[in-house]
Amino acid sequence: MKDIARQSMSIKVESMDLLNGQIKMEAHASATYLAMASWCEQNGFFTSAKFFYKQSEEERGHMMKIFEFLIDTGGNPLSPEITGINHDYSSIVDVFESTLEHEVAVTKSIHNIVRKARELGDIATERFLDWFVLEQVEEENTIRDILDMIEVTGTEGVGLQMIDNQVGNWIE
Amino acid sequence: MNVVHQSTYYTLYQSVKERCFYVDFGQKLVRMSLCQLLSLRHKVLSISIEDHFDGDLNKHGFEVLMLCNKEHLFVLNTLEVLDLKHLVAQGFVAMGLSEEREAITV
Ligand SMILES: [Fe+2]
Ligand SMILES: [Fe+2]
Repeated sequence: MKDIARQSMSIKVESMDLLNGQIKMEAHASATYLAMASWCEQNGFFTSAKFFYKQSEEERGHMMKIFEFLIDTGGNPLSPEITGINHDYSSIVDVFESTLEHEVAVTKSIHNIVRKARELGDIATERFLDWFVLEQVEEENTIRDILDMIEVTGTEGVGLQMIDNQVGNWIE
Repeated sequence: MNVVHQSTYYTLYQSVKERCFYVDFGQKLVRMSLCQLLSLRHKVLSISIEDHFDGDLNKHGFEVLMLCNKEHLFVLNTLEVLDLKHLVAQGFVAMGLSEEREAITV
């Protein structure tokens, strides 16, 4: 039987489903960081707000990267439905701690897809995710550095304003 | 045209000459590209069959399925939905695009 299906699509549908899930997760991250930017603006952390605007755009970039990969491989990328974005944070420390939690969850999800792709023998998907694996190392590292800076600076007195100013060091 | 997979009510064919697929829905034969087949797969696997056993969530136990950019419309009952889920899952296995042996939910 001539393989029209394989000629039309170069990854496994299971990988496609997982990548569509990842599209949703990146979109959710993008929306979450936008909510954090809003919180920062309203609470006087203007530099941190800029940081989160940029993060939000980056996450959308990640989403589009996966979207385009699904197009290139003949898959069916789905525009994600995003709900349940949290806008409430108790402090700027809470904002950055939530960011780290979010990034760790994304890392786990990507590692999971790499493992599944490997199981399926889907080498294209596995290699495609290499970039994401390394990107996550960088993203986690950035947020950990910011949390360390917050710890050293302290939140007493002018600490909060100093923290906000220093976040600028992580905006390229 | 050769058979890719046949379930109780439906048959999936591939046509090498036309480089496309056909799904025989019984009352209608629908021509589909792989993209349209992927879209059918998503729609069918997204149907929550549990809702069919809940009088509030799905009162009548029917699903309305629109295919190929609203060109075709089907009304399916519970058994037909289950069978179509089966056809889609097994069809993709037969085409070598899926490893799954059991129907999965997307
Ligand atoms: Fe990301
Ligand atoms: Fe990220």
